[in-house]
This record gives sequence, C-alpha cells and structure tokens, in this order.
Amino acid sequence: MNEELDSQLSAMFDDELAPAECELLARRLSRDEQLKARWGRYAVIGAAIRSERGVRLNGALAGRVSAVILAEPVLAGAHGAHRTAVRWWQPLAGAAVAVGVALGSVLWLRAQAPFAGAPPSAQLTAAASVPAAALVPTASAGAPDSYVVPRAPAVRPMVPSTELANYVVAHSVFSSPVARRNLLSAFMASESGTAAEAPPDEPERNVR
Amino acid sequence: MSADASDLSLVRRVQRGDKGAFDALVLKYQHKLVKLVMRYVRNPAEAEDIAQEAFIKAYRALPQFRGDSAFYTWLYRIAINTAKNAVVSRDRSPIEYDLDRNNEESYDMQGRMKDSETPEGLVLTEEIRSTVNAAIDALPEDLRTAIVLRELEGLSYEEIAAAMACPVGTVRSRIFRAREAIDHRLREVFEGGLGRAEELG
Repeated sequence: MNEELDSQLSAMFDDELAPAECELLARRLSRDEQLKARWGRYAVIGAAIRSERGVRLNGALAGRVSAVILAEPVLAGAHGAHRTAVRWWQPLAGAAVAVGVALGSVLWLRAQAPFAGAPPSAQLTAAASVPAAALVPTASAGAPDSYVVPRAPAVRPMVPSTELANYVVAHSVFSSPVARRNLLSAFMASESGTAAEAPPDEPERNVR
Repeated sequence: MSADASDLSLVRRVQRGDKGAFDALVLKYQHKLVKLVMRYVRNPAEAEDIAQEAFIKAYRALPQFRGDSAFYTWLYRIAINTAKNAVVSRDRSPIEYDLDRNNEESYDMQGRMKDSETPEGLVLTEEIRSTVNAAIDALPEDLRTAIVLRELEGLSYEEIAAAMACPVGTVRSRIFRAREAIDHRLREVFEGGLGRAEELG
C-alpha cells in the first residue's frame, strides 16, 4: 500500500485534507475495498480510544446498511437533476425580466410623449429634419452657399381672458396684491401685443 | 482547510450514484451514531437497528442534502428523530446517557452483558479494546500525544500543532504513524481469527 496514499487517507478521515485531494481520494475510497477496510479500522481505533460504551465494535452494521443500500435505486442524477432544474430557468427568467423592463419602458415613454398618436421615432425624425432642411437649402449644384437662420417657432404666451381679468378686479378684495398685479400686467401686455398685430382699422373702431 | 470537505466529497459521490462512497460514510460514523442512539434505547442491538434505519433514511434523503450544514449534523438529526419515533412506537421510555460516575461502570457492564447476543461479541470487543490500548501504550510519546489529542480531545491538526509546538505537517505525520502502528496490531487480531467472520467497525 502506498504510504503517501495512506497518509492522505488518515488526514481525510480527520477532515484535514484539502478539498481537491478529498475529491480524488473519495473516488478511490469508494472503489478500493482495501482502502475502505483501512478507513473502517481508523474508525474502530477512534471508537476504542474513546471507549464508547455499549457500542459493539464487531457489529455488522456497516455490512447490513451496505446490503440494503445495494438494493436501493441509484441516486444517479438526483442531485444533478435538481441542480439542472435550478439552472435551466435562470437564463429564461433573466431574459423575461429584461423583456418586461424594456416593454414597460417603451409603454411609459409612449404615454409620456407629447403626441401620443404619432410614433416616437417619427416625432424624433421630424424634429431632427426641421433644422437640417433649413440649413441645407435645396440649392442646385454650383450655387453659392447661403446660411439661413431658421425662423423661431411662435411662442404663444399665456393670455388671460378679459373675463378673468374682470373677475379678478371685481374680487380684488379677496385676491392678493401680487397675484392681482401679475395678472393685470400679463393682461395689459397681451392687449398691447394684440393691438400691435391687429389690422390698421381696429384702433379706429376702438376710438370714438 | 475547509471543515467537512472529506464528508462532502463522499456525499457528492453518493449523490452522483456512487453507492460505494456511502459505505465509507457509514464506516466512519456508525460508532458515533450508535452511541448517540443509545441515549434513547437501552439495547445496543436495538440501537444498531435504529442506526441502520437512520443511515438508510439518510441515503434516501441525500438528494435533498445541499451541504448547508455538516453531513454529520444532518445525519445526527435524522438519527435523533428515528430514535424518538422508535421509542414512541415501541412505547419505551428513554433513558439518559449521562449517568453519574458511580454508575458508569455498572451501567457499562450491565448494558453489554444484557445486550451482547453472543459471548464472542463481548470477547471480541474487549480484545479490540485491549489491543488498541496496548498499541497506544507502546507508541513513542509524541505519536501517543498526537493521536490522543486528536481522537480523545477532538483537536484539529492546527490546535495539536500549537499544543505540541510543531508544524501541522508533523502532526499529520505523527497521527498517521500512530494509526499505522495501532492498525498493524489490530490486523493481527483480526487475521488471528477473532475478527475473521466479523465486519470491521
């Protein structure tokens, strides 16, 4: 018997062997009857040293258990199958979660879009094409370059209606001075803007 | 060094269908398990039957063993439950193993005399014990201390190395040499005829 192997067996019996060595020795131990008998005698020595009372060291317990186990169905793959069962759905679950998050994000973005009817990609394309069309005129080949600043989109200020202004003035007792002033300033500004843009005959109609 | 690595490597082999690896686990733990079960039943033969049942239950349940706890801890729980069930089903009252020192000897002899199925069984047990004790007495001091600290006190190699002021490798070598010396004497006993028809362990 190889002395180094027996030394490893002794260390393995005491749980003092490295796991990698244990793997190799366990394989040999399960097949080598001589090694198994030595392993059993190590257990006998330990039990004798500890003087374990009432335990019959010559009992055929191990043999009886071995005979019953021999008639039992093999556990082959039981643990492996369990591990496989745990493993196979993990990537699928990951993919399902990723798809769910992506779908949720798309739906949320669509709900947040200013024009819910139009597809987001179309809106983005349209927005991007406006300055491009303005900066690159449809000039024929050889024409001089021209740089045209695109017209800024008309900003429509919030214009309080006359009814609202009248209401605020009528109920000025209940409104705060700052709010009242802001509203009236906005109203006057809108009135002057409207007057400036109005056709020339409108002021005449107002003045009597 | 990871604790329980050797048991785990054997357990994994059993889980992959290697029944031979389970034999090694039975050989290693049968004495401890019988001793444990004897806290609940008086009769060593009955304790062996319960231990056998516990081992078979453990084998059948091994696919569910994940290694979160040590194998022996898991086996211990199975054995305790099996023993308790046996006691209930046979309507026997459990006894406490922890007897006071005055009763230890009488209990020991009473138990063995009552429970040994054959006188040969008792003789062989005594023969093994006396052989092991004689082999230990014949060991050099450093080997004897190492094996006793390991088997009797349950110290790890590192703890023994600290106690004996030597490297861990030396401890491993001393314990192995001590076991080899005792095993040599033990094999002579078995090959001499007393243990020929008996299972080791």
